[in-house]
Amino acid sequence: MATQEDNRIALLQGTLDLLILKTLALGPCHGQGVARLIQRQSEEVFFVDHGSLYVALQRLEDKRWIRAEWGVSENNRKARFYTLTAKGREQLIEKTSEWRRLSRAMGLVLDGNKGPQETEA
Amino acid sequence: MFRRRRSAEDFAEEIRSHLELEADELKREGLGENEAQRKARLEFGSVRAAQERFYLRDRWVWLDKLLRDLRFGLRSMRQSPVFALTAIGMLALGVGANTAVFSVMNAVLLRSLPVADPQRVVNLRTSRAPDRVDRINDGDMFSYPVYEALREQKDALSEVIAVGMLSADKVNVRVGGEPEEAEADMVSGNFFSGLGVKLARGRGFTAKDESDHAQVMVISYKYWTRRFMRDPGVVGKTIYVKGVPFAVIGVAAEGFEGTDPGQSLDFWIPLQGRGEFNVLGRPAKDGSAMYLADSKWWCLRLMGRLAPGVSREQAIARLQKVFQTAAYVGLGGPMKGERLPVLSFVDAKNFPGYEEQAGSPLQVLMVMVSLVLLIAVTNVVMLLMARNATRQREFSLRLALGARRGELLRQLLVESALLVTAGGLLAWGFAEVATRVLGRWAQIESSLAPDGVVLGVTLGVLALVAVLFGVLPFRVAIAGGAEMALKTQSSTSNAHAGRTRFGRIAVALQMALCVVLLVSGGLLARTLWNLEKIPLGMQTDGLVVFGLNPQKVHTEAELVQFYQELQRRLRVLPGVESVTVMQNRVGSLWSNNSNVMVDGKNPDLGKRQPTIVRNNDVGPDFFHTLGVPVLLGREFIDADTATSPKVAVVNELFVQTFLQKQDPLGHRMNDMVIVGVVKNHKYANVNEDPMPMAWEDYAQMKAEGAMNVEMRVRGDALAMLPMVQKIVAQIDPDLPLIKPMLQRAQFEETISQQILFARLGEFFGLLAVALVATGLYGTLAYRVNMRTAEIGLRMAVGAKREQVVWMILKDSLLLTAVGIAVGIPLAMLAGRSLASVLYGVKPLDWVSYALAVAGMVVVALAASAIPARRAASVNPLVALHTD
Repeated sequence: MATQEDNRIALLQGTLDLLILKTLALGPCHGQGVARLIQRQSEEVFFVDHGSLYVALQRLEDKRWIRAEWGVSENNRKARFYTLTAKGREQLIEKTSEWRRLSRAMGLVLDGNKGPQETEA
Repeated sequence: MFRRRRSAEDFAEEIRSHLELEADELKREGLGENEAQRKARLEFGSVRAAQERFYLRDRWVWLDKLLRDLRFGLRSMRQSPVFALTAIGMLALGVGANTAVFSVMNAVLLRSLPVADPQRVVNLRTSRAPDRVDRINDGDMFSYPVYEALREQKDALSEVIAVGMLSADKVNVRVGGEPEEAEADMVSGNFFSGLGVKLARGRGFTAKDESDHAQVMVISYKYWTRRFMRDPGVVGKTIYVKGVPFAVIGVAAEGFEGTDPGQSLDFWIPLQGRGEFNVLGRPAKDGSAMYLADSKWWCLRLMGRLAPGVSREQAIARLQKVFQTAAYVGLGGPMKGERLPVLSFVDAKNFPGYEEQAGSPLQVLMVMVSLVLLIAVTNVVMLLMARNATRQREFSLRLALGARRGELLRQLLVESALLVTAGGLLAWGFAEVATRVLGRWAQIESSLAPDGVVLGVTLGVLALVAVLFGVLPFRVAIAGGAEMALKTQSSTSNAHAGRTRFGRIAVALQMALCVVLLVSGGLLARTLWNLEKIPLGMQTDGLVVFGLNPQKVHTEAELVQFYQELQRRLRVLPGVESVTVMQNRVGSLWSNNSNVMVDGKNPDLGKRQPTIVRNNDVGPDFFHTLGVPVLLGREFIDADTATSPKVAVVNELFVQTFLQKQDPLGHRMNDMVIVGVVKNHKYANVNEDPMPMAWEDYAQMKAEGAMNVEMRVRGDALAMLPMVQKIVAQIDPDLPLIKPMLQRAQFEETISQQILFARLGEFFGLLAVALVATGLYGTLAYRVNMRTAEIGLRMAVGAKREQVVWMILKDSLLLTAVGIAVGIPLAMLAGRSLASVLYGVKPLDWVSYALAVAGMVVVALAASAIPARRAASVNPLVALHTD
């Protein structure tokens, strides 16, 4: 297994993690809602791979940056709702400034390239 | 981390809910029911993949995979049991032999004494003992005055520990009613405290015990276990030693069995002052213990603990003068021109002295077993490579189906670990047995049980081997690449020329190593042959010997009477030809050595030759019984008594050394008249060089308590012993026969180490041959198999069977030639390091080399016979049709 591949995944994971944290900062939400919100917020530029999203959610939950519990959605569907924890909020603040510069640079590059088709391979 | 894990079902549930939510939203956006569900699912991508990734996030996955690989490995081992058993067997032999030899080497050469801070403990040595003193050994024995002087120098050695042997082998003890034998030392009061040996029970000795000559004893843990079944009530018990009661005051810590080479002692008592407790059981002339009063009797072994902050060199510097003065107490100073003895220290190892004696042979042995291991490991690697080459398609298919190379490597490593674990377990069992056998052969009584170091080294070797077995065949396994799965012809897919290069190099290398082992084995075998052929100068057939240590006789006259009476009774036994007694048993490595006066003068032989004469106190009929020819004069007779003129018998070399061309009879040695000259013969061991020797009549000397009785009998000599025991019991019912055995066996004991090395050398040589033959056979058989189609084609176009057979034989003979060419220089190196243990054979003995080369060629031909036959019987039509 090439280490290069590892690095790339880590980088993209970070991106998705940050997007999730940011979305959840607005309030508790279930996975489908998070995916929709990210797509909408990014003006449909980001396509969120749902499989990756749920694995990322689980990872963040394992890290205790977010908390989850089963609940009922506005249209009466059973759904798993995620909430940002205090630890997650700290991470969000910390990572945001760090990522802002990077994403600006990425944005500049990506804008020149029609934007990415996927956030994760 | 310790939270309840989230179940896979819960995750699946979440995904289902996602799809529903998404479908709802899409319907709201105006899609139809079916279309919405379809699109939601489409957008999600592979649900299975997401679930798998959730599952993989689990940190126990590796275990899961490991178990799967293990199951797979076991299955594939079951499918080729011959391969698995061969590999495991070879590994077990190779590693086991290594562990066993390393255990012994570790115990003998590396392990320190089980004492506190062993680096600070030293054995004292002297370059020589002064002239005019009696000594047990030159070099490691000191007199009591030296001990007294050295222990005053606290700024050099904070503790000086004295050890005196109670007897040459065992002493009589009585625990309950029956007489028994036990091995014991007499030690200074600081023995346990100074060495820092803990007591499992009770207490050790004190300085007061030494000065009072207290009748107390500390028993060894082994003796406590063996004799008293670890009875905690042993402390306080009374044990009679030589009829004198001693109170048990303690049990030494487990693992401490004395400070002597390879010995395992039963108990220790403080230095004693009574006559019967003289060192080596030598009776004292006038009540006082000779070793305490006699500065001319160098009989104590000394150990020391370096004072804090003092280096060895500093300690020696501080002690040298004191030592050289003390060495001449009672001698009135050194003789004119006498070289002063020089004190030195050596490491206090578990086996002091063994380093010089057995060190280099053991190292050679270690190298030999390492070579065997190397051959065994190469064999297994070749086996694995051959096997994995046939599994190439399996691997290619798996690569083609998306398995990663890492996964294949992991699987190979797991399979190798399985082999190595099985082989390792077997090896450990094998090593345990082999170590015990080695220890018995080498006459090492103390524990050789593999310790942590041995275990560590063995595990290290196994781990290395496991990685090797996994990684090396990996290259072969994946050499085909994924595309090979598409090929169907076994001939094309296997015709990989480079692959067999490794096998050929490995076989040639093995053969080189095998030559080394065969040559070494041959040299050792010839050494053994020579040793067994050495003329002893006596007739050992029919000689049986045993020791006695009579307790109920107290004066010299009584002792002589005891032995005379015994001899008288034994001589009349049917089948007994003659009987004699001797103080030192011949062939037991023991000898008395002293300086002598010839015709009232110290003989002047010039500086290079020491004037030491070996002597022994013997009874009448001694030379007749042993079968040693008397060349001049007479030997001892019953008429030589304490009151008759003192007489001595000397050997030829004595005459040559001290009397040159004069008629030796009538000359005086010390206060004795020389009445006879006998042919040179062996005294202490088989391979000693002849030394000037003198024999005195035991009845005219300070009689010794313990003596050995030698009998020449007709027929089965050992069968005579029960009768002998009865006769002895008539005189003293409490007297055991000490080490009764054939005289021949007694002499063989002195070369047991050489015998051991020779047998091991032969064994390793044969083992190597067997391993190499298997390896060569495997490689050739494999190659013939691979080349079946080619051979068929050759025969189809007109090659004769002989040509095909020659093709295969040429191959293996070429490998043999290369192996021999590389092996001979290596064997010459090995032979040179063996030089010290060889006897009567030069390291460059051409016979050994010729035999090794011939052996190699025979093995090569034998191993290639079957593959060659198979090649010759290839049916061209069938071969060409196989694919």
